[in-house]
This record gives sequence, C-alpha cells and structure tokens, in this order.
Amino acid sequence: MIRFEKVTKRYPGPGRPALDQVTLDIDKGEFVYLVGTSGSGKSTALRLVLREVRPTTGRVHVAGKEINRMAGWKVPRLRREIGTVFQDFRLLPNKTVAENVAFAQQVIGKSRREIAKVVPETLELVGLKDKGDRMPDELSGGEQQRVAIARAFVNRPMILIADEPTGNLDPATSVGIMNLLGDINETGTTVVMATHDHGIVDQFTKRVIELDHGKVVRDEASGSYGFQH
Amino acid sequence: MQLRYVFTELRTGLRRNLSMHLAVILTLFVSLSLAGIGILVQREATVARDSLGDELKILVNLCTDDDPSHSPNCASGEVTADQQQRIEKEIQDNDEVRSFAYQSKEEGFEKAKETLPESSYTGPDPIVTAEGWPAAYWVTLKTPERADGIISALEGLDGVSGIKDQRKALGQIFGIMTVLKYGSWIGAGFLLFAALLQVTNTIRLAALARRREIAIMRLVGASTLYIALPFLLESLVAAIVGVALAAGVLAAFQYWGVEQALSDHVSFLPWVDWTDYTQALFGLFPPGIVLLGPALTLIPTLLLTRKYVKV
Ligand SMILES: Nc1ncnc2c1ncn2[C@@H]1O[C@H](COP(=O)(O)OP(=O)(O)OP(=O)(O)O)[C@@H](O)[C@H]1O
Ligand SMILES: [Mg+2]
Repeated sequence: MIRFEKVTKRYPGPGRPALDQVTLDIDKGEFVYLVGTSGSGKSTALRLVLREVRPTTGRVHVAGKEINRMAGWKVPRLRREIGTVFQDFRLLPNKTVAENVAFAQQVIGKSRREIAKVVPETLELVGLKDKGDRMPDELSGGEQQRVAIARAFVNRPMILIADEPTGNLDPATSVGIMNLLGDINETGTTVVMATHDHGIVDQFTKRVIELDHGKVVRDEASGSYGFQH
Repeated sequence: MQLRYVFTELRTGLRRNLSMHLAVILTLFVSLSLAGIGILVQREATVARDSLGDELKILVNLCTDDDPSHSPNCASGEVTADQQQRIEKEIQDNDEVRSFAYQSKEEGFEKAKETLPESSYTGPDPIVTAEGWPAAYWVTLKTPERADGIISALEGLDGVSGIKDQRKALGQIFGIMTVLKYGSWIGAGFLLFAALLQVTNTIRLAALARRREIAIMRLVGASTLYIALPFLLESLVAAIVGVALAAGVLAAFQYWGVEQALSDHVSFLPWVDWTDYTQALFGLFPPGIVLLGPALTLIPTLLLTRKYVKV
C-alpha cells in the first residue's frame, strides 16, 4: 500500500537530510507506528505519502502509484484516498461538528444526499452521535480529536495517517482514541501513526518502525516503544 | 461538481472584503472609462483623417462644369483629360510631394455626405449631387511645413478650381487628439496598475482569512480549481461591476457628449458613432474594456491563487 524505495529528503539549507535512504513497505490493512526522537523524520515521511513534499531522490509508491512522478492535477485524487489527523485537530472553529465533517465531502463534490447519510453514520462511529450541532470549542480535546478522525474517515480512505494524534491528550483519553483508530483499522484501512507516546505503543502492540536521524534503525512486526527520551 | 460551497464562499468573501472590493471596483471603473475614452479619441482621429485628410495632406479640387469658384482656371468648364494630365505631371514632378491619390466625384461625394446635413443631398432637387462635386487629388507632403512650391505651381493651372490647405487647423486638431488619447491612456495605465495592486492585496487578505479552510481542502483532496473558484469569482464580480459602470459612462459620453453636443456644434468633423463605442468595449486592438477589466483582475488572481493554493 505504501512503499519507500531509497527515499532521501533534503530540505533546502545546510545540514543532514531529514530522511536518508529510507526503504520500507507497508501492506494493506496494517497498523504501523512510526517512532523516533524529535527531528528523526517521522512527519517528513508522512508528508511524503501525502505528496506535501517530494523526495530529493528515491521513489514513493502509494496504492500502486509512483506518486513522486504524479502530475500535479492528480494529487487531489491521491489525497482523497488518504485521511489525515494531526496533534492539533485543525477543526474549523466557525462550523459545527457535523459541518466540519461534511466539509470534507462538500469540497470534493459529494452530493447533498450522500452527505446527509454518511456524516451521521461517521459521527456515530466515532462516538459523537449526539454532538453534531456543537461547536468545536464546546468539546473536550478528546472529542475534538474524534471529530478530526471522523473528518479524515468520512470519505472512507484506504489509508489513515495520524501525526501524534494523542500528543495533546491525557492517557485515558488517548486510549479511547487508540480504540477508535483500532476500529478503523479493523475495517481494512491502513493506519500509519507517528508518535512519541510510549505508553500507547507498549499497550497497543503493533508493528513499529523506528527512525533515527532520518534512517530506519528498527522495524519489528510487534514491537515496543523501545527507547527512552 | 457541487457548487453550493463555492457560492456561499463567494457571498461571504464579497461581504468580508467589501471595502477592498469597492476600492477595486472604483479604481477599475475610472481607469476603464479613461481607457475607453482613449479608444474613442483614437477612433475619432481615424474617422476625421479618413474624411478630411491630415496635416500632411492638401486637397486639389478640379473644375466642374459651371464651377462655383468662378476661377479663371475653369473657363473651359469641366476639367479635360489634357488638363488633368498636366496637373498630375506637375504633382508627380514636385519634390515637396511624397505621394498623391485621385479621388473621383463619387468618392468625394460619399465622404462629404458624412458631414453634410441629410437634407442637402436628398429630396427631388438636392443642393449637393455627385455630378456637381469636384473630382480631386489628395496630395501628401513630405513635411507639413513645406507646401508653397506645389501650391503656387498648381494654383495657376487650367482645370484646378481651388486648393484646400487645412494643414494648420487639422494639425492642431490632431495634436489635441493625440494629447487626449495618450493622456487618457497614461492615466488609465496608472490607475490600472493601482487596480492590479488592489486586486493583489484583496486576494492576499482573502487567502489569509481562508487559510484554515484552504489547508483542509488541500488535505482532503479538493481540486485546485475548486479551491481557487471563490477567489476567481470574487475578482470576476468586481471586474463585471467595474466594466458595467465604465460602459455606462462611455455610453453617456457617446450619447450626451458626442451625439447631442459635439456633433451639432462642430459639424465640419465627422464624429465617432455607436460602432466605435462597440469597438471601445469589445475591440481586440487596442483591447476594449470588456477584455481589459476581467483580464486585469483574473490574471493576477490566477497567478496568486496558484501561489497560495498550490497543492
Ligand atoms: N519545512 C522544513 N524546512 C526545513 N527543514 C525541515 C522542514 N520540516 C522539517 N525539517 C527538518 O527535517 C528534520 C525532520 O523533521 P520532521 O518534522 O520530519 O521530524 P519529526 O520526527 O516529525 O519530529 P517531531 O517528533 O518533533 O515532530 C528536522 O531536522 C527538521 O528540522
Ligand atoms: Mg513531527
């Protein structure tokens, strides 16, 4: 589903590359943690999958397509296959919960009828059935992250990318979010999650890929967080 | 494509940046009006030149039967082929002359009709007829200053009823027109540049106000066009309003200024008509205001949204 072939990413400016000759392969339906110290290149790897950035050398394949060579106008189609969740939720403050979720469908041209059907379904899935009319600032952090996950999942993407989704949440709330991501993974969606949260990684055992200074230093089928920081 | 979002955004966008949009519209309106007036003046110069010649031209009228000038040159009545040959040779050999052209009675009559009142050439017994209109030579000079040689050479020739030398008057008129034309275009140019800067600022503010939405739209895979559409429509609305106002001002200028006032008071000149007005609106070269307005707002908008909205 996601394949990196000797991917090196160098940002403009001096210094070592953010990713250095990274090769990895993630299959359909997998759940993968991306761990590593700050600056090790986790977010860069995720941004390469979204084609927010392009590799300096090497190749990135997503869903069978070599996306670093994809024409610019096809990139939106690629992104419709990928849901994205961030540490800071990124909800639109002037829209209700349901409108936030619906927004992701509206702007890719889904019909009003489909939106009216799928948005409540998705809100129910993330456990916010009765909160569709709330504004984001009336919700707790954990609930806001659920809205963000609903928005990422509402178009039923093949891949869900999460960059430190529990970074702003307390441990108990984080467990709830992890259960939700687990449920989404159960539906066959590939989940890639960058995280610093060793409690979570050790508790919900999954495949772990560790980056260090832009290199893959560990790739275990059911690993632990494995280092202190 | 589901456009409800686009139109909601267009409405809120127009409202949010109302003062900016008004500034764009007003600047655009004034600059396009000036540009349009420049085009009309340019057309006017062409129309006038076609009919009256210009500061380089003198008109050599040939005798008609029963010539109204009663010049001794016309003693033999209608100019003869022999006389005409001599006149033509004289023009040809003169070194003040760059070129010349023959204008038949009918051609002269057709041109004259443009400035004469209709009653003078219609009806059962018109004052002016093609038969009574003199054939002529248009003589183009090398410089507008030197014409004494050719004039004195032709003046005494049999068959020449008179020489019309309007170099001074026409030179002044065309001088004024040139100043008006470039003056309004330069003014229009500065204002259009100001409009361009205002469009740029408006887009920048609008993009800033929408940056969260844009970030999310990119992330969930909205097409670039879809993201850019509210911006383009906002600019288009401003352009349409600006163009409509300018078109109205030009129409008012054409109707009250030219048709109701100038053409009555200054009747020796033919004046621009509604064809020329259409040209000022839709012409390609120089570009009419219907092209100019949208181009000047949409092109920077496209370039800027490419920058802000890039996938
Ligand atoms: N846009 C950018 N321009 C220049 N350098 C960048 C940019 N983004 C990241 N970097 C650099 O690339 C390296 C990897 O950054 P990245 O954000 O991928 O790390 P990370 O593993 O996600 O870190 P964190 O855990 O703190 O989020 C860092 O050295 C960072 O400074
Ligand atoms: Mg990061």
